[in-house]
Amino acid sequence: MDRQALIRRLEEIVGPQGVISERNQLRTYECDGLANFRVIPSVVVLPETAEQAQGTVRACYEAGVPFVARGSGTGLSGGALPVSDGVLIVLARMRRIHEVDLDNQRAVVEPGVLNLQVTKEVAGDGFYYAPDPSSQQVCSIGGNVAENSGGAHCLKYGFTTNHVTGLEVVLPDGELVHLGGGKAPDPPGYDLLGAFVGSEGTLGIATTVTLRLLRKPEAVRTLLAAFEGTDQAGDAVSKIIAAGIVPAAIEMMDALAMEAAEAAVHVHYPEGAGAVLVVELDGPEAEVAHQFDEVERLCQEAGSTTIQIAEDDDQRALFWKGRKSAFAAVGRISPDYYVQDGVIPRTSLPGVLRRINELADERGLRVANVFHAGDGNLHPLVLYDGEVEGQEERAEELAAEILYACLDHGGSITGEHGVGFDKKQYLPKQFSAEDLDTMQLVRCAFDPDGRANPGKVFPTPRLCGERPGPRRVHPAEQAGLAEVF
Amino acid sequence: MGVQDLERGGLVETADGSYEVDGVAARFLARPRSVSEASQVLRAAAADGLAVTFAGGGSKLGLGNPPERADLVVLTGGLGQVLEHAAGDLVVRAQAGVRLADLQATLAPAGQWLALDPPEPRATVGGVVAANASGPRRLRYGTVRDLIIGITVVLADGTVAHAGGKVVKNVAGYDLAKLFCGSLGTLGMIAEVIFRLHPRPASSAVVTLQVEGSGQARQAVGRLLRSTLEPSAVELVVDEWGWPGRLTVVFEGIAPGVEAQAATAAELLGRVGEAAVAGPGQTEAALSQLGALPFEKAEYALKAAFPPAELAGVLDDLVGRGQRRGGGPVSAHAATGVLWMASGAREGDLPADSPAVPWAVREITEARKRLAARGGSLVVVKAPPHLKREVDVWGPPGDAIGLMRRVKERFDPDRRLSPGRFVGGI
Amino acid sequence: MTEQTGQGPEPAHERASATQVGARGPEGLPDEVGADPGQADRATEGAGRPEAGVAVLPAFDDHHPPEQELIDDCVHCGFCLPTCPTYVLWGEEMDSPRGRIYLMEIGRQGEPLNDEMVRHFDQCLGCMACVTACPSGVQYGKLIEATRQQVERRYPRSRRDRAFRALIFRLFPYPRRLRLLRGPLRLYQRSRLGTLARRAGLLDRLPKRLSAMERLVPDLGRLEPVPEVTPADGPRRRRVGMLTGCVQRVFFPQVNAATARVLAADGCEVVAPAGQGCCGALSLHAGREAEAQAFARSAIDTFEAAGVDQVVVNAAGCGSAMKEYGHLLRDDLAYADRAKAFSDKVRDLSELLVELGPVAPRHPLPIKVAWHDACHLGHAQGIRTQPRTALRAIPGLELREIPEAEICCGSAGIYNLVEPEPATELGDRKAANVLTTGADLLVTSNPGCLLQLRNALERRGQRLPMAHVAEVLDAAVRGTQPSSLLDR
Repeated sequence: MDRQALIRRLEEIVGPQGVISERNQLRTYECDGLANFRVIPSVVVLPETAEQAQGTVRACYEAGVPFVARGSGTGLSGGALPVSDGVLIVLARMRRIHEVDLDNQRAVVEPGVLNLQVTKEVAGDGFYYAPDPSSQQVCSIGGNVAENSGGAHCLKYGFTTNHVTGLEVVLPDGELVHLGGGKAPDPPGYDLLGAFVGSEGTLGIATTVTLRLLRKPEAVRTLLAAFEGTDQAGDAVSKIIAAGIVPAAIEMMDALAMEAAEAAVHVHYPEGAGAVLVVELDGPEAEVAHQFDEVERLCQEAGSTTIQIAEDDDQRALFWKGRKSAFAAVGRISPDYYVQDGVIPRTSLPGVLRRINELADERGLRVANVFHAGDGNLHPLVLYDGEVEGQEERAEELAAEILYACLDHGGSITGEHGVGFDKKQYLPKQFSAEDLDTMQLVRCAFDPDGRANPGKVFPTPRLCGERPGPRRVHPAEQAGLAEVF
Repeated sequence: MGVQDLERGGLVETADGSYEVDGVAARFLARPRSVSEASQVLRAAAADGLAVTFAGGGSKLGLGNPPERADLVVLTGGLGQVLEHAAGDLVVRAQAGVRLADLQATLAPAGQWLALDPPEPRATVGGVVAANASGPRRLRYGTVRDLIIGITVVLADGTVAHAGGKVVKNVAGYDLAKLFCGSLGTLGMIAEVIFRLHPRPASSAVVTLQVEGSGQARQAVGRLLRSTLEPSAVELVVDEWGWPGRLTVVFEGIAPGVEAQAATAAELLGRVGEAAVAGPGQTEAALSQLGALPFEKAEYALKAAFPPAELAGVLDDLVGRGQRRGGGPVSAHAATGVLWMASGAREGDLPADSPAVPWAVREITEARKRLAARGGSLVVVKAPPHLKREVDVWGPPGDAIGLMRRVKERFDPDRRLSPGRFVGGI
Repeated sequence: MTEQTGQGPEPAHERASATQVGARGPEGLPDEVGADPGQADRATEGAGRPEAGVAVLPAFDDHHPPEQELIDDCVHCGFCLPTCPTYVLWGEEMDSPRGRIYLMEIGRQGEPLNDEMVRHFDQCLGCMACVTACPSGVQYGKLIEATRQQVERRYPRSRRDRAFRALIFRLFPYPRRLRLLRGPLRLYQRSRLGTLARRAGLLDRLPKRLSAMERLVPDLGRLEPVPEVTPADGPRRRRVGMLTGCVQRVFFPQVNAATARVLAADGCEVVAPAGQGCCGALSLHAGREAEAQAFARSAIDTFEAAGVDQVVVNAAGCGSAMKEYGHLLRDDLAYADRAKAFSDKVRDLSELLVELGPVAPRHPLPIKVAWHDACHLGHAQGIRTQPRTALRAIPGLELREIPEAEICCGSAGIYNLVEPEPATELGDRKAANVLTTGADLLVTSNPGCLLQLRNALERRGQRLPMAHVAEVLDAAVRGTQPSSLLDR
């Protein structure tokens, strides 16, 4: 099928207002939240219903065209980077909340619904949706499902995968299936829901998502503790965990990150602080009150210079706003920067931070650190100026070195941003060929033709063997472009 | 290299016919002591085309359909080491054959535990994952899928593969660990697992409520769920004589916290019925009884899973409003939507030729229909093989069954891993 | 009848007023627009729709293109998306701030300024909600302003689109022309012709843009001219100049009167220079650079001559534009410094009142008030707390917040005239949100918002009294009954 015929077919499915094919318009979709990689999609489709989304995928399948799904386009690993000969399926118009069932503590939503919208919808009844990535005001639930998004509060409450209980999914051949129990626990069968969440759009498109809602805790208390440097702050984190306390969140920012956030949202961080921790406890009042005192004491023991306690919701919101805008705010102190997302065991924190600083010094670059200290998820922001000859290359090198340092400490190359396009070459550093081949088995079961978000997550294009049944040679294999798995 | 070669090396032995998987006798038994030995065993089984079943403590061997074949049973007991306990990181890495009780004992001195409390005393770590076993505290901590962060598996052809890792937060690659949760040995052998841990609660408090009927049970649970209380478990037990039942609400944490919560809960539930905070001795007793499943003497047992708001209707369907109709004791994770029920028939009461068998089949089928109408499912978790032949133990698999079959075909193309045991005859 | 109401009396007055103030002739616009209802309908579908088939290369010339440095500030995080009214409506990347900045960037890189690109720039309301949301501090206002200037200067709009825009800009920035319109409009309203026509569905057959214009005209009351000097009550604390505006002066004369009284009550001597004209906000926000500059120079001259400490504005859009004079006239050697100094003196009414602190006692007003943040006050000027503070100082007044407060009501300068469809959708959305507050009175600080919201509520068959914040403060200062605000 040629492009024009495909466009006509897609227009039949979603209507002309749902198909974008003009070059200037297409170009606005050429990258997601990671602007380093750009590919102009062949066509953009904006379905408004699950049926239209299914029709779109089926049309792609019939035309033999790959597709990439995209939500709000805020991903930081290039997971929604289009393919030039493929269709970009944008789910931003599927933003209805189908059902809120407080008795079963579930909400059933379309993938384009924004993360924060879910909480807004149920806040009046005293409920909320727990995963809260920093981009929660704009990122979509469908994107969260694809990336298994985390957030500041996943230390205590877990990730998207722990809060999604049901999915309606369009498989790459257009088949519609339901995964997970929805409102009921323990559905018999394989936990394909668990495999799907975090698969970065490579297994299909979620068209309806059932989410777990939590009751708002009785008490929430938040403090902002300043330290001389990250070593002391890291020590405070260890002490809190060792005391058997599981805070809702422990976030750390270093001086450079504070400088950026201060410029953006005016939190009034204590002057001269080398690091701050934002520690939040929530739960039953009596427990929170007791443990909060202990956290305060432990921060002091670790050498905290000043401790501010949020007096009210506004101040708490400000503490968080500073933290959550930090990524983008770094744009205020550096022309360009690269957001890294590595994970280390929490206890390795001080060592790895020192290593990062050494690596940065060696390359004459600055690194701002913002991270989820409670679970060892680092977000080093490598600052550079693309205009200065060679800086971008050095920044990329440094970003890679940081990942290797994480892996050396038994960590991971990504805690929440996903592998996407950006990090696929690092995946083999974390996993063996056997490990990756085994993951490919799942891919082959869902998407034997490799149509869903091709070229992401896994480093080399691999084709699914035709087992069972007689084996045929795939054209790409013949052309030497791929090896058969 | 085939199984006989390994037999010479002592890794595999010929079974004497006494080892059965749900009535199917095994020909060979293997006891690998390392992941590489497990890989050797599976390679050999692949070479010989043997059907393979994995067994840990053996407590869940009766779960699922009887396998079509079970030529070789791989016993994981030899993989019995806790490999790494990173207390500061709240993470543990253990081999599949470690008994859960032993693992908890290892973790206790650091004031930590793996927040899983399935009732089976002999359960191993690998078995808990493969069977997706859980207990009352799942209300607070979730199930295996919420706690597992890394896995090492041995596939049907002997390939050793890892997924996840030692860090709590990790989205690199597919989450194979979750795929293996509850897969019952049909995708591969679970060899090692990495879990996130929780601080062991310093103190507990228990509130009990006598429950006169299903409506009151639902009301009590509804009130707890709408409150800001954070119980670790909400358990409902109704014995074979029927109502009244007993609701046990457990709070765990630091002493001032749990005391305050228990007092609030007692007051809240006091508006529904006769509620009381348990005294010190009673608390111990209540906790030791918690989640115990009285299946041992029952001929068959059922697990119902349903949206928690359906509790009253499900209780009416399964327990009845008045006189019991021959069912055994019922135990429910009342706030989670999971209910276990033993048959009234005792073990051996329903031989294949018993006229009560069709009655039992009808009861199960009817109950399953009613649960499906409420958005839930019913699984026969224990039954003699002849009863399993009469009734699908898993129930209708849903529209993802085709996809599940394709997953199975990719992982086990020769269909040798516990064939027929899983949903839809997988 | 359509033709009569649509164009009957207007052309003559438009022509007359145009010659009166010495502007260039109206080039027979009204005869063309609406001459054939069918054709006009197409012509008024919206600006830059793909009827032209034009592509301008390069997209931007060297005269103040959207600056690369400002574009580079955008890190593509997307935080602006949920606050952008057009993204909220359509969910399309190119109708979001991030997408529009991207279009500017690719325009700079060599993609042509074509119909589609222009359409997405045109569809921006300029509400600046994205500026509030942006953690990276992107100065979107400057970017879209520069882009619009390029579009207006270089992109050949279709003839009908040009004609309609010309009509707007020959009319609205000229109070005298607007005033001349008042007579026939009042007559039209009193004759109930409008109601009848609306009931008969006749207006729906008018071209969308023209019917949008018709619907926006408020019920016109008595003209209440503001004296050139209003002395301060009690000791004089400041001497302030007051912008009387165009739409405000003609359609809401009572607001200016109230503004002067409140300022005087709190110790300001209020100077409202008789010769003042339009501040240029409408032109500036529509990319008509030269026109806006001319208005700005004239305003600077007028208020400099008045010798005032500060210039007070009661219309959010005007205040926001006047605070940007420094930027607008940055290339004008004679005016650059004066413009900057002037901008520094500009204050919104509530901003100044809170800065000064109240002197006159406020009498109780036991009413529930929903405060609507005009975009050009909240987003563009960052003034959110001051009007709330001023209102809360009134005993008995209960302030209610409107859900989705950050989303524009769709008024946006001339937007509801040139893009009536999205404007209507946004108006409906805002009206629904306003009604959830259960307030007795809707209060805002911009005449455009008032017109837009009254219209949107009417469409729902709902009436909610509305007032400018100055009127509420005036009622509190004078101790008039709440009914003076509610029964109208």
